Amino acid sequence: MSKSILVVGGGFSGITAALEAAEVGHEVFIVEKAPFLGGRVMQLNKYFPKLCPPSCGLEIQFQRIKNNKNVKFFTMAEVESISGSKGDFEVKISIKPRYVGPGSVDLSEVIEKLSNNVTDEFEFKLCDRKALYMDVPFAFPARYVLEKENCTDEDLKLFSGVDAIDLNEEEKVITLNVGSIVYATGWKPYDVTKLSNLGAGTVANCITNMQMERLAAPSGPTSGQIVRPSDGAQPKNIGFVQCAGSRDENHLNYCSYICCMASLKQAQYIREQYPDAKITVYYIDLRTPGRYDKFAKRILADDKINAVKGKVAEVIEVSGSGNVLVTVEDAETGIKAQNEHDLLVLATGMQPSLAGVPVPTGVQVDDQGFIVGGEEQGIFAAGCAKQPLDVMKTAQSGTASALKAIQTVIGR
Amino acid sequence: MEKDIRIKPDLQFIKELQAVGGDGVKKCYQCATCSVACPLSPADNPYPRKEMVWAQWGLKDKLVNDIDIWLCHNCGQCSDLCPRGARPADMLAGLRNMAYQKMVTPSCFGKWMSSPKHLPKLIAIPAVIYMVIWFIMAGVRGSFFPLKDGNVVYGYLFPGDFTIDPIFMIAFGFMAWTFYRGVKNLIESFKDQPKVFAVGDKSERPSLLACFVDVCRNELLTHSKWKECGETDEADEQKFNGHRFIMLAFIFLMIVTGIVAVTHWGGKIIPFLSAIGHTPMPLWHPVKILANVGAVMLVYSLVLLTKRRLNQDESQHKSSYYDWYLLGLIWTIGVTGIMCELLRLAGIAGLAYPMYYVHLVAVFMMFVYLPWSKLGHLVYRTAALTYARYIGRLPMPVREEKTFTL
Repeated sequence: MSKSILVVGGGFSGITAALEAAEVGHEVFIVEKAPFLGGRVMQLNKYFPKLCPPSCGLEIQFQRIKNNKNVKFFTMAEVESISGSKGDFEVKISIKPRYVGPGSVDLSEVIEKLSNNVTDEFEFKLCDRKALYMDVPFAFPARYVLEKENCTDEDLKLFSGVDAIDLNEEEKVITLNVGSIVYATGWKPYDVTKLSNLGAGTVANCITNMQMERLAAPSGPTSGQIVRPSDGAQPKNIGFVQCAGSRDENHLNYCSYICCMASLKQAQYIREQYPDAKITVYYIDLRTPGRYDKFAKRILADDKINAVKGKVAEVIEVSGSGNVLVTVEDAETGIKAQNEHDLLVLATGMQPSLAGVPVPTGVQVDDQGFIVGGEEQGIFAAGCAKQPLDVMKTAQSGTASALKAIQTVIGR
Repeated sequence: MEKDIRIKPDLQFIKELQAVGGDGVKKCYQCATCSVACPLSPADNPYPRKEMVWAQWGLKDKLVNDIDIWLCHNCGQCSDLCPRGARPADMLAGLRNMAYQKMVTPSCFGKWMSSPKHLPKLIAIPAVIYMVIWFIMAGVRGSFFPLKDGNVVYGYLFPGDFTIDPIFMIAFGFMAWTFYRGVKNLIESFKDQPKVFAVGDKSERPSLLACFVDVCRNELLTHSKWKECGETDEADEQKFNGHRFIMLAFIFLMIVTGIVAVTHWGGKIIPFLSAIGHTPMPLWHPVKILANVGAVMLVYSLVLLTKRRLNQDESQHKSSYYDWYLLGLIWTIGVTGIMCELLRLAGIAGLAYPMYYVHLVAVFMMFVYLPWSKLGHLVYRTAALTYARYIGRLPMPVREEKTFTL
């Protein structure tokens, strides 16, 4: 029997679950696929409910992890297999090589000399980075990552004199013995290339809501300047397309819960930056749950922000200007119109990270990729791995799963 | 709100609509994707989103008087993109089916045509008529399967002048008269449609005739509007080509029938005419060749259309009884028609005459019940599209403005 707990996923709910269990004395392992902890919240400019920047919540969490010997975490790590049963799981974890050792060494001089550019996935392809990188703000662990496969031969030669870099590091597999498992694998933005009638990702000035977060973030590719990707121009007339993939049985057959609020929040980003900009939000139903309704009312009271009931069903690029033409029927007036925007934001939904990927035996997912059941077996889901949530509810769900995991390992 | 509007939902109507193809209607959440997806829907009050909400609210009056259901050519793009699987295309088809059912009296035909359980009655009417003729003529000829000079001659058992032609002329007249009343009812139902006023447009409103000519040119003969319905996958090709070929086949066969009728009856006055259209025709006869080409085209298009319906994804498009009735009937007409010719040439009287009998029954069913069948769209849609142009719901082709500067 093991009293340890494994948390899969180092985002907001995973970290919360891990800390709650660790702070009452349990040994906890966090397994994170990315090179840094923090998950999707790291990519946001501001997050609900209080519109804090991510550093606001996450830096405290990272401090708690640092100060608690019960928490051990592995980055660039994934669960390979789960065997055994409740109270006595054996979990195989594969850890990819990072090629950069511990110690907060500054490698920015080496990075400058590298030739190859790599598309930055953290910035949702809005910019490039080098193969040696630390692309997240206030990175934890504050340790660079090297992608050996993206280096030229000359690049590799540059590393020979750098002590922190070990090019011979190899992938390893470790085995953990734990009593219960929390799955907090979170979500990924729905793939826009599947939205064939909404430009399928080919229209330059039609961006996703997560790209908008990066454009608005001070740590982002434009240092917080919201500009058009095609020409860097300041947008004056911006459209938001709600339910881009969500509530659609051909794509995500559920409501992603937070996209309406995210768009209203982003409308506020734009209005703060550009006092003359006009904004139109195209929606099916504006879903502003609970206390968010007050926020929505305040944003919509702005006479430059206009909400139109009608889903955009066609997006095309205007050749020359790079503007985006949307076709939509305003269901209140019964007029089908083509409206031109210089920047269009698709409010793409949340898809569970486990959708379409193989999951270890013991973890059950539904047809959309959300984790269902499994609690009797001692495997608990937390956060957006279970259902679409906001950050606040994600943390609550992390705490709840920690409690269940603790109850499992101490046998009550 | 200037005035409160009290909605009186007609629940019975919703149930009926669900039964004829609109069963997805309650899934709709009014996102309006369908109105945008439709390549033909006008910008002002586009369909089918508004029809979906009317149907949910049970607004029967709005729906039965709606001209827009006839503007839809059922390409199904709205259903393909519908996020809820509410199948708006099938609902509009369902509304058209209801129109076929209720457009004209006697209403019993409309009811009988709406469900397979009444099919025996519909078959029985022509079956009895032609059976009586068969019995009488069998008595006259001395056999149920008589040969004339050793050959199978259908006109020998079912004489054209006294049995076939009078019955079909009455049937045709009945059909035409029914359609006349149907179109009158249809146009009457559109009286509350908003009229379009073009401000500053000095040109005159198009005449009904001009509208009709435009419909024939741009919709009927070339199918060019329908072609705008966009998609290019295999199923759409099957549908488009199938429909075009089947229409051409019918036109060919109509010409053949016309020539035969005109030369036969005209031959009573101008004797040499009767020689041209005398049946049975030899296989080298140009009219016979046209008839055979028409028959082959008919079967080919039936294969296309049937294949498409069988391969449809049921979650997005369902075929109704109206669809299958018509396909089944035309299959029967096509197959029995070809078999009649082959069996006649082979001289197998015992099979040829029963085959001819089935053919007669099927053709009778097509003509007499036509105004209540899906094929009624040939007349009703044409009328509605003409009227839609007349009141400005659909635009007439843009006149070319020629300006000469000297």
